[in-house]
Amino acid sequence: MNEERDDKLTAAARQLATEIQPQRDLWPDIELAITEPAPQRSRWTPMFAQAAAVVLLIGASSGLTYLVVKDDQPVMIPQPAPEYTFARAAFGSTYTLGSDYLDTRADMVERFEQELVRLSPEERQDVEQSLEVIRSAIDEINAALQEDPDNVLLQDLLMKTYHEELNVMHKVGGVTQSVMSRRDI
Amino acid sequence: MAALLMAETGDNIRSLVSRTAIVMPGEAALIARARGGDTRAFEMLYREHIDRVYGICLRMTGNVSEAEDCAQEAFIQAWNKLAKFRGESAFGTWMHRIAVNTVLGRIRKSKREQDRIQVVAETSSSPASIADNGELRDLSDAIDRLPEGARHVFVLNAVYGYSHEESSDMLGIAVGTSKAQLHRARRLLAQQLKEQGFEA
Repeated sequence: MNEERDDKLTAAARQLATEIQPQRDLWPDIELAITEPAPQRSRWTPMFAQAAAVVLLIGASSGLTYLVVKDDQPVMIPQPAPEYTFARAAFGSTYTLGSDYLDTRADMVERFEQELVRLSPEERQDVEQSLEVIRSAIDEINAALQEDPDNVLLQDLLMKTYHEELNVMHKVGGVTQSVMSRRDI
Repeated sequence: MAALLMAETGDNIRSLVSRTAIVMPGEAALIARARGGDTRAFEMLYREHIDRVYGICLRMTGNVSEAEDCAQEAFIQAWNKLAKFRGESAFGTWMHRIAVNTVLGRIRKSKREQDRIQVVAETSSSPASIADNGELRDLSDAIDRLPEGARHVFVLNAVYGYSHEESSDMLGIAVGTSKAQLHRARRLLAQQLKEQGFEA
């Protein structure tokens, strides 16, 4: 019974039109698409963003290191404070930074602003430029992550860049404290 | 349902012929010219194959504008991939495969299937059925109301004459799934047609 039914359906199906004329001519749109020069794909791909961010970070770090050691001052080599952890940061399509990090960063920014005024104008300018570079890198990485949110390399780079920002602010604190101690002496 | 009971005509071998045919002599020259960037040659290929490409897009999507977009996209993709066409299968078969992939890709990407279902539910007759005669329109409408998976398998297998191996390959499913979906499609079609007073 079913077999007979299937045969009838198959026979009927094979009589259905397999060629159907579109209601309008599709060629003009196709021609436009294939003759129009392909849109220049943004060269600012995630890979470029990563490479650029790495270059920027190296530049920023080098600049800051120079700033710290140029006057032959006792060099403080600050270690990342243990509280600057990112344990609660979650990455993925909807990555968010942990509240611990955000709180720490807010405190750090506040302290940084206070410490910054103790630097000479030249040193302050150097630090501000370094931070600008790092924050620009953060923006670029975030933009790249918008397009490719699950890119693990980008996520890792973003983490490191945020970490670098904290380190810069932390180093400035170390420099100013160092300067103070010298003056005290 | 008399039309459904008609014996198979020469139509049932049309897809087989078109799939196994080697590239037609004139067609090979057109393909070569198109590969070299000749849009006029590609337009001639388009004119030759558009009805078949649009046909499968319409059968699979059940939506005129979606089918138009799919057909356009399929030809644009074909243009971009012409260098990869080696002539191992008929150009029409190659185009068909691109069209099926385009339909599946668009469904996955934009989830417009929901829109399709609404459109089908709102319209009394499917766009594809316009091309069909008499009571075949009832079958065409019934196909459009099939669930997506069953519809795709039925269209490729029953309407276009692809084997389970071919259709499962195109749809990215197992051969067993293709067979199961075809069985399901037939059962659902029989139910639908029976409810409308026809006997399958």
